[in-house]
Amino acid sequence: MKKNAVSSGHRALTLRILRSSPTEGVAPHWQDFHLEEAEGMTLFIALNEVRETLDPALQFDFVCRAGICGSCGMLINGKPGLACRSLTRDLDPLITLAPLPVFELIGDLSVNTGKWMRGTAERLETWVHSSQEADLTALEAPMEPELAEAIYELDRCIECGCCVAGCGTLRMREEFVGAIGLNKIARFRLDPRDERSDDDFYQLIGDDTGVFGCMSLLACQDVCPKGLPLQTQIAFLRRKMVASGL
Amino acid sequence: MDSSFDSSGIARPLAPVRPLPEAAARSAQAVQVRTRKSRWPARLDLLQSASGLFLALFLVGHMFFVSSILISKEAFYAVARFFEGAYFLAEPRPWLVSGVVGVVLTVFVAHAWLAMRKFPANFRQYKVFAEHKAQLRHGDTGLWWIQLWTGFALFFLGTVHLYGMLTQPELIGPYESADRIWTGNMWPLYLLLLFAVEIHGSIGLYRLALKWGWLEGRDPAATRRRLRAAKTAFSVFFLGLGLASLLAYVQLGIAHADKAGERYVPQRASAVKLGELEFALSRRPGG
Amino acid sequence: MRIIYTDVLVVGGGLAGLRAAVGARRRGHDVIILSLVPPKRSHSAAAQGGMQASLGNTVKGEGDNEDVHFEDTVRGSDWGCDQDVARLFVHTAPQAVRELAAWGVPWNRIKAGDREVIMDGKRVTLTEGQAAHGLIAARDFGGTKKWRTCYVSDGTGHAMLYAVSDQAVAESIPVHERMEALALIHEGGRCHGAVVRNLVSGELTAYVAKATCIATGGFGRIYRVTSNAVINEGIGAAIALETGAACLGNMEAVQFHPTTIFPAGILVTEGCRGDGGLLKDAAGHRFMPDYEPEKKELASRDVVSRRMEEHIRAGHGVKSRFGEHLWLDITLLGAAHIDGKLREVKEICQHFLGIDPSRDLIPVRPAQHYSMGGIRTDARGHARGLKGLFACGEAACWDLHGFNRLGGNSVAETVVAGMIVGENMADFVESAAGELQVSTALVRECLDAEQAKLDTLLHGNGTESGAELMRRMQDIMTDKVGIFRTGELLHSAVEELQGLLVRSRRIGLRTRRPGANPELVTAYRVQKMLKLALCVAYGALQRTESRGAHFREDYPRRDDASWLKRTLATWHDDFQTLPTLDYEALDVTAMELPPGWRGYGARNAIEHPATAGRAAEISAIRSAFGHADRFTVQQALMPFDHLIPSRFRGRNARLGETS
Ligand SMILES: Cc1cc2nc3c(=O)[nH]c(=O)nc-3n(C[C@H](O)[C@H](O)[C@H](O)COP(=O)(O)OP(=O)(O)OC[C@H]3O[C@@H](n4cnc5c(N)ncnc54)[C@H](O)[C@@H]3O)c2cc1C
Ligand code: HEM
Ligand code: HEM
Ligand code: SF4
Ligand code: F3S
Ligand code: FES
Repeated sequence: MKKNAVSSGHRALTLRILRSSPTEGVAPHWQDFHLEEAEGMTLFIALNEVRETLDPALQFDFVCRAGICGSCGMLINGKPGLACRSLTRDLDPLITLAPLPVFELIGDLSVNTGKWMRGTAERLETWVHSSQEADLTALEAPMEPELAEAIYELDRCIECGCCVAGCGTLRMREEFVGAIGLNKIARFRLDPRDERSDDDFYQLIGDDTGVFGCMSLLACQDVCPKGLPLQTQIAFLRRKMVASGL
Repeated sequence: MDSSFDSSGIARPLAPVRPLPEAAARSAQAVQVRTRKSRWPARLDLLQSASGLFLALFLVGHMFFVSSILISKEAFYAVARFFEGAYFLAEPRPWLVSGVVGVVLTVFVAHAWLAMRKFPANFRQYKVFAEHKAQLRHGDTGLWWIQLWTGFALFFLGTVHLYGMLTQPELIGPYESADRIWTGNMWPLYLLLLFAVEIHGSIGLYRLALKWGWLEGRDPAATRRRLRAAKTAFSVFFLGLGLASLLAYVQLGIAHADKAGERYVPQRASAVKLGELEFALSRRPGG
Repeated sequence: MRIIYTDVLVVGGGLAGLRAAVGARRRGHDVIILSLVPPKRSHSAAAQGGMQASLGNTVKGEGDNEDVHFEDTVRGSDWGCDQDVARLFVHTAPQAVRELAAWGVPWNRIKAGDREVIMDGKRVTLTEGQAAHGLIAARDFGGTKKWRTCYVSDGTGHAMLYAVSDQAVAESIPVHERMEALALIHEGGRCHGAVVRNLVSGELTAYVAKATCIATGGFGRIYRVTSNAVINEGIGAAIALETGAACLGNMEAVQFHPTTIFPAGILVTEGCRGDGGLLKDAAGHRFMPDYEPEKKELASRDVVSRRMEEHIRAGHGVKSRFGEHLWLDITLLGAAHIDGKLREVKEICQHFLGIDPSRDLIPVRPAQHYSMGGIRTDARGHARGLKGLFACGEAACWDLHGFNRLGGNSVAETVVAGMIVGENMADFVESAAGELQVSTALVRECLDAEQAKLDTLLHGNGTESGAELMRRMQDIMTDKVGIFRTGELLHSAVEELQGLLVRSRRIGLRTRRPGANPELVTAYRVQKMLKLALCVAYGALQRTESRGAHFREDYPRRDDASWLKRTLATWHDDFQTLPTLDYEALDVTAMELPPGWRGYGARNAIEHPATAGRAAEISAIRSAFGHADRFTVQQALMPFDHLIPSRFRGRNARLGETS
């Protein structure tokens, strides 16, 4: 790493950022920003430094800056990832940053994931469907501890959109629900509090915009920052939905 | 004051189950009121995989049969005759082969049709995917791209080959095949076909395992790595086998070039082993 | 002029706002939620450790009930809380957990049989009963007598927020994302909605509503070192302050969390210590027992944070290029436990520190974490001074937490307050007082006023940099209004902040784009945030005692005699550079639990004159009731049933309890 060293002993970084501003009609173009790397620098820190010192108009989204809220998904050297938890020391000194595709572009690195996610939630009805309201003062219904943990395993999705941006199928066919959508169905399917049957789920994902549209490209699995078991869940759902559809 | 309160002001537990508020009840029923979805997507998906699996398994067998030429001309001859029913019918009947070819061809066409639904539907989709692939540099995404192109190639190459087998089933034999390959100038086609099909098939099998969750085991990530290795091994093995056989055919074809068109007749058709078959074989049509 | 009408406007899509919205919606009213970000990105998602509710399912929670939870909460608050509210809260919390369970939150469940845990650095075997199998589990958290903190691995807030947010989708409640409330529309003590800026287009819209609820979370970002998200800038509280009618309560009560990773300030949950993790110093010595022999690492947060800073000051900190820190040791919990129950912690350590917490020690130091203060409301969540304005969650000073909130009581507060405020808003909307009577002239005036302010920033000739002022403010707050406070430091902080506030009126921008313009956003926010910072610093300067998280080195004792009261800050006109402070006395004679020793920390409070009298009264009542059940006794001590919305009355069932 010595070849890029500057006087202070830290690397000189170049952030090559895909700038754009659709509301003002500014088409996407690359712009380079130069800054000095610091100890423990993340892209969150680097981008804020760019905004504070070089270009106050640069748009990007961070909320938790701790890798838990899913706001900061972007293409880092072409791959979807969470910027806040990407340490610059793990990257080459030339870092390209682009907004996630698929989602509506707001400007620079900022995209409207919220709108997409809400659409998915409405489309797939991602809530517990129960015909009875629990009595809040009574003891809760018991659940096997292992089952609760298994549900949480699928509930960990932070809706960052990385799997959406990484999926070639979805990029070709934007009506495809994507791994995140399928994972949500798998999550509610597992939940005994949700009274829907496989036939009900088939209504939601039993076609080529749903589970049968997935071409097992598995980029979703490989880019998911939370390590969700997308591959196995989609396979599992496929079996269940075929069984229900035959 | 709420009626569920007694004089001390302390509430009694409410009835265990209350009806849902209207809004929630609505959402709970939303699924039921929609029109039923077609069952065909499920069936087609299954058929796509089943046809791919069938073709892949067929090809495994096919490659072993075809490579019997590496053992000897007689071996290949025997295999060819076997498929004409020589071992259990009174005499070999090449139309049997045509029948098998017909079945395979049907599956082949069906598979192509089913799989082509996954092709980019227009240039925009094609371009988006190509760009995506270049940007992401992701293994399995790249594999699909390869599968797409090899599938596309198979569409033509496979059809030519199958058409030949369908129409001239009797022309399968050490000399017949070798002549076709060399003198008939079919070897470039076979070479391409071989690469296309082995790569396409091995990726297809790999994808099948992931797609349906076969062999997941305790650690699906490790299984996936192993499957990938198996996929490569599969490709390499069958390419090697195929190339070797093709080379054998070519050599035989060169050697037999001046007598091209002459049909193979087993000299000492291993009398001990084949026994009474000799009789049957000698009576093959055109023999 | 864009105007949107609705029955209920909820500003904030965190747990509190969402739950309140669902409540009002289920009562049949139109609700719109505004949020800076998609609701599931709200900082509620960051809550790792858990939610307190006295279910009493686990062996270590046996005997737990509302009474015990109430006492822990009041003690934790250092008697600063509103005891009516605390009662209302502990009563409703179990229902909140159970409602969330029905909505799909995968609470960790109890497994019957033996289980090894780490307690006080030693392995102990706990045996859970068969009857408890499959019921909601609980873990240990600082400042509690029982294991009461329900949890979902260490993604509790995430799971809760997703469940509640999905319910809002199920109810078809529109969420207007990337929308920022900039001002409240109000007149004659009645709030009519808010002026809202679209963060993408820059356009202003008036949202006119019968009831408006502010649930905008905390304001940790007035500090430099904080566990809070970057959107936790307190604009919701600030716009309430700017009405001049509503007031902010106890703004000086700021909590510092003991364990945020050093130097990034990212939180690792209290569950680490709850599950058996230890704090160690440079020498590898476990120092908490030296200071707090009883509760050790699990004393309440204010105490642990202070002890840690004290220990660093005494020269036992680990030195690093960024400054000094201490160690959190969870290696003794084992990889299996960490992989299962502390996964977020593991991920954070991996990604931000490059270490594996099952083998390495975690560098930690306290950081700003929670704002006990906020928009002062009554027990029903109605803002004081402004009819039709409600507040809940961290943005509010409902006053459940007083001067220190217990870990796990905050996410519990968000949903409980949401449940209660949702019902109360529906009641309000249905009542005569809820009638919408607002002139378009007023709406236009408010819109124009906000537009004018933005235009001044965009096109004026100011020269100050918003980012620079923001940095200065954050530094001042962290350095001078931190864990240890002195009159001298606070005084200089207040002075400097006033200077910054004056300068903030002359901010100029480099980017004059009216739409998505981060520079503009920083500019108008820092103007508001400085007012909050001044409320905190000035309130702290005035409060010459130590209570809960507010610790004055020059006044180290809790002084009930002169300070058992809540600070109320108002800001009447824009040219003030200091808030107007008033005080609201807490009524000792009505308390169920009169002031005393917390059970940890210093034991040196100056007693309130009425304390002894009330204590005597209470023991008289208790003995008069003899063997009456706890509900009857409680009712006699401090009735609160009238505050519970009818939906949530009824006794909470518990395993061992026959009701
Ligand atoms: C790292 C961390 C860990 C924590 N862990 C725990 C824990 O284990 N247990 C516990 O009990 N508590 C915990 N807390 C505290 C608890 O998470 C918060 O207090 C609580 O979640 C706050 O919820 P809220 O709904 O009030 O606000 P938030 O969840 O912060 O939501 C605020 C909402 O308001 C919106 N908003 C803000 N300003 C505006 C505006 N001007 N216009 C429009 N919308 C606006 C935002 O977009 C957001 O949707 C933790 C806090 C932190 C920081
Ligand atoms: C006309 C010829 C062919 C075409 C156009 C074609 C095309 C395709 C395509 C595009 C796919 C990917 C489908 C998807 O991702 O969902 C596919 C899958 C597959 N193909 Fe083919 N293919 C052809 C012939 C063959 C042959 C001869 C074999 C046998 C070796 C074969 C075996 C497979 C297998 C096993 C799969 C995986 C099935 C699945 O994913 O469901 N294909 N094919
Ligand atoms: C029932 C159907 C089939 C029959 C009877 C058949 C038969 C044969 C025969 C006899 C040969 C030897 C060469 C020749 O005689 O021309 C051959 C070679 C070959 N066939 Fe087929 N085939 C069938 C289907 C297929 C299919 C579906 C494919 C793939 C799409 C395929 C791919 C190949 C290839 C790649 C070779 C060259 C083998 C080598 O390199 O050694 N065949 N086939
Ligand atoms: S599944 Fe993974 S990649 Fe996809 S949105 Fe959820 S967390 Fe992100
Ligand atoms: S990348 Fe896409 S195609 Fe399927 S396996 Fe993942 S969703
Ligand atoms: S900012 Fe929350 S995940 Fe990156």
